[in-house]
Amino acid sequence: MDSEIIKLHEMLIKKEITSQELIKESLAKSHEVQEKCNAFVTILDDALAPEVTDDYLSGIPFGIKDNYATKGILSTGSSNTLKNYVPFFDATAVCNLKNHGAVAVNKTALDEFGMGGTGTTCHTGAVKNPWDQKRMAGGSSAGSATAVALGVYPYALGSDTGDSIRKPAAFCGIVGYKPTYGMISRYGLFPFASSMDTCGVLTRTVKDAAIVVDAMKGKDAKDLTSWDSKNINLYKSLDGQVKGKKLFYIKELVDMANYQNASDELIKHLKNFQEVIKKCQEIGLIVEEVSLDLTLLKAIPSVYVCLSCAEATSNMSNLTGIIFGPRGEGKTPEEIIMNHRTKGFSPLIKRRFVIGSYVLQKENQERYFLNAARLRRIIVDKIKELFKTYDGLILPVSTGVAPYLDGSKDELVKDDTAPLEEHLQIANFGGFPSITIPSGHIFSLPVGVNITGNCYDDANVLNIAYALEKSLGFKNLKQGGKHE
Amino acid sequence: MNNKYQATIGLEMHCEMKSNAKVFSHAKNAFSNLANSNISAIDLAFPGILPTLNKECVKKALEMSIILNCKQPKYIYFDRKNYYYPDLPKGYQITQMHEPVGVDGFLEYDVNGEVHKALIHDIHLEEDSASLDHYSDYSLINYNRAGVPLLELVTEPCFHNADEAIAFLEEVKRIYEYTDISEADSKKGQIRCDVNVSISEDDTLGTKVEIKNVNSFGNVYEAINYEIKRQIDLKEAGRYQEVEQETRRFDEETGTTIRMRSKVDAIDYKYFVEPNIPKYKVTDELIKEIKARIPTLPKERKAKYLNEYHLSLYDTNIIIKNKDYADYFEECLALKLPPKTVANWLTGVIISYLNKEIITLKEFYLTPKLLKQIIDKVEDKTISIKQAKEIFLKSLEERKEPITYINSDNKQISDKEYLLNIIMTILANNEAQVAAYHAGKTNLFDFFVGQVMKETKGKANPVLTKEILQEKL
Amino acid sequence: MGKITKELVDDYAKKLLIGLTKEENDLVLKEFDIITEQMELIANIPGIEKIEPMTHALDRYLDDLDDDYVEEAIEINEALSNCQSYVDREVKVPKVVENNG
Repeated sequence: MDSEIIKLHEMLIKKEITSQELIKESLAKSHEVQEKCNAFVTILDDALAPEVTDDYLSGIPFGIKDNYATKGILSTGSSNTLKNYVPFFDATAVCNLKNHGAVAVNKTALDEFGMGGTGTTCHTGAVKNPWDQKRMAGGSSAGSATAVALGVYPYALGSDTGDSIRKPAAFCGIVGYKPTYGMISRYGLFPFASSMDTCGVLTRTVKDAAIVVDAMKGKDAKDLTSWDSKNINLYKSLDGQVKGKKLFYIKELVDMANYQNASDELIKHLKNFQEVIKKCQEIGLIVEEVSLDLTLLKAIPSVYVCLSCAEATSNMSNLTGIIFGPRGEGKTPEEIIMNHRTKGFSPLIKRRFVIGSYVLQKENQERYFLNAARLRRIIVDKIKELFKTYDGLILPVSTGVAPYLDGSKDELVKDDTAPLEEHLQIANFGGFPSITIPSGHIFSLPVGVNITGNCYDDANVLNIAYALEKSLGFKNLKQGGKHE
Repeated sequence: MNNKYQATIGLEMHCEMKSNAKVFSHAKNAFSNLANSNISAIDLAFPGILPTLNKECVKKALEMSIILNCKQPKYIYFDRKNYYYPDLPKGYQITQMHEPVGVDGFLEYDVNGEVHKALIHDIHLEEDSASLDHYSDYSLINYNRAGVPLLELVTEPCFHNADEAIAFLEEVKRIYEYTDISEADSKKGQIRCDVNVSISEDDTLGTKVEIKNVNSFGNVYEAINYEIKRQIDLKEAGRYQEVEQETRRFDEETGTTIRMRSKVDAIDYKYFVEPNIPKYKVTDELIKEIKARIPTLPKERKAKYLNEYHLSLYDTNIIIKNKDYADYFEECLALKLPPKTVANWLTGVIISYLNKEIITLKEFYLTPKLLKQIIDKVEDKTISIKQAKEIFLKSLEERKEPITYINSDNKQISDKEYLLNIIMTILANNEAQVAAYHAGKTNLFDFFVGQVMKETKGKANPVLTKEILQEKL
Repeated sequence: MGKITKELVDDYAKKLLIGLTKEENDLVLKEFDIITEQMELIANIPGIEKIEPMTHALDRYLDDLDDDYVEEAIEINEALSNCQSYVDREVKVPKVVENNG
């Protein structure tokens, strides 16, 4: 289970191992990881081995984030509002993987409905970082990141609205890939903010990410925002030829001079990034510094909060406990809904709803929601303009390593480092493909670097990540490896 | 109404559209007696569902927008209207707020022969909610109606009495029927109206009161008249401040309007653009295609019936009121039947037969082709009008083609020689009456006609009979 | 624009049919301070009001719409399999009184 997909596939084809054995191993590991890190909502102990075919994914176990609808399998979104919900249909992405012969062995825990970056607001409790159980795994795809990092299987599904795949990937030392918006159908993914929600995957190698997304993607009649990507084959596009490709980074985010009283961790983190840039140059990539208006960068978190909370409060209005979910108590329909929602949602989500509702109110909408949507366009246009010159944007993920669990708050903070912490949201604003790969270690804990490219240019972005991954040498990183 | 005051009325008319599937899902759009039989996961808002968009509904909505002389948007897209109610599974309704399918239109309509012009604020495409059945201490939710396409037409406050409002609604209803955009059947709950009413003594509009969810034109009429009177009475009594910006409902039993809530408590629907439906370009080609499919509308038909076919206004109004009637009428004309004759048949015996049997024209056995069998024989004088009506009923009763009864013994006697023989015999046998006739008792003419009919068992061609009699007497 | 208050936050929560504890309410107020400050800066960006709000992630239009075909309805036992209160084929709720729709 520590191997790459192609390797496992070869073993299966050569009958050196059976799918049944892989599943057994994966399930055993799941229980171990559950004990250690609390990564799962459900472990599917009765998972059956499918037929092994020529398909790379056939017979190989994987994990599904619990905000994907899975037919006949509990799907909670890690929320008490859906703690007993068993869908009667599969999400399209899950269905596509099943059709490729992939076999799901567990449902992974997440920040409730994906609305968080810590992995601590799951109704089953906080997910712990595989490298240090006193730290967070990062969210929202916390369980998926932890399980992949601990070698439960080669890949697990994630979803990404702000950075929910790419940040936990960095905190857990693995690869997190958010494709272009709409490349993978969202049908059956429990929505958070529909205009930014993206299905994606967490793996240990770029190649595996390419293989899995090739199987998940495709235009779906059930998702009007999905598009035809038949002419894109991510796996076949990985040739490592990146000489002359151009990347840029944003000066204001990585310039040490912008951070007064920078912590030792932050300094190390930014140094790590400089080393990554050197590695980039070694393999022939051209990396340039670009300066952007700090006002725009500073506004990113607030724009994100306004837009995502507004969409979320509407998207989750179907959670009433009337048709599904635990029925609330009360004498009127309003009372039963209120009871269901008050008991069902975590404090974080309730706060987000209030914000979302506030910014959408008639009297506030212009100043908050619409101005946020306008700034979204300004930022996206700016970045798209740069993508005319550059193949991608390269930046460090977060401000350092995974924070400690106690003291994790997931609040908006007013801080110099806020734009560095939240810049991954740019990719969600523009629907851009974006991938995080491990870039080294600080205090024996992994950190990551992110590459984001223009819409539909996934193959190019992955290929650059593929080449850099090789050069950095943290491919298929598993917890325990020490690189300082 | 007290002449001192002018009433101002605005209408919002919700009409369920006709289509195979619902507007944002592929569940069947049809009424069913079986609860929750026409539902999809989308209609019930299970987590993770996404809307689709039905092309036919979009086209029909654009068609209506064109007919109402509205401006069409460059792009079709939708908004979410957010509110909590047990009949709204998603917690929001997908509707059009920013760019309705039509804005700033108008429609000419007749009020007692006078042409009026209604101003259309907008028309937009949206989805219906589920329906609730209420019991003593609980309610049951049936989602068959959830997601059914609705067109909401919003007028400017441009009507001044209930007659105008109803005439407008009738015209719109006819257009829906003629275009097949909707069956527009209020008995099936397909039409619901919200009515805004205010009164004023001068040009400044008074306080606007909204009456919600009125489910038939009859009730719209009553609600408007009641509300005008209520407001005037309060004004006359010096209590106009009691007329509040509020929402009321019409109570069918008492024929009154009842307060629901104040506008101050109005819900903020927190509209925003539906992110799950990308914009759809309204191209010139699409508009052209839709324009080409608009059928002849009732008003145009009306003009034609009056001016080209010279029907009476009375008959015309009866025929165009119902698309089935007008279609039947025009089918008959296509079979080369004379318009006035067809109109007489349709507005006379046919409609009274339909009413008596409580059936629609679609269920009526005598298709235009079969009716032609009868009318043709009347026209060529083979049978009399009286016989024709008997054949009409017999044919309907026995469900046999009219021609069956015409070919046998019912055939009219038009043989002049034969009739002459009979008439000469009758005249010979009634010498006294002949003498009296000649002496001036001309009303005896009918007596002789009667005798001929008696002798021929009513089959004598009446026109020919009269001709011969006049000649021989 | 009035400043957001504790009472306002509670009122919004109530309209969303959720209850907030005092701590939750306080936190909302704190976050609002940050958002409001940022949005103040955004509102001052010259010409911002002329920018078209970005409502969808991609600049693509729908190629075509769905044909008007009917798919088989979901089974009633599937539809109600997660419902904790129903009668026969219908979902049961406490009596709905006034129509707010």
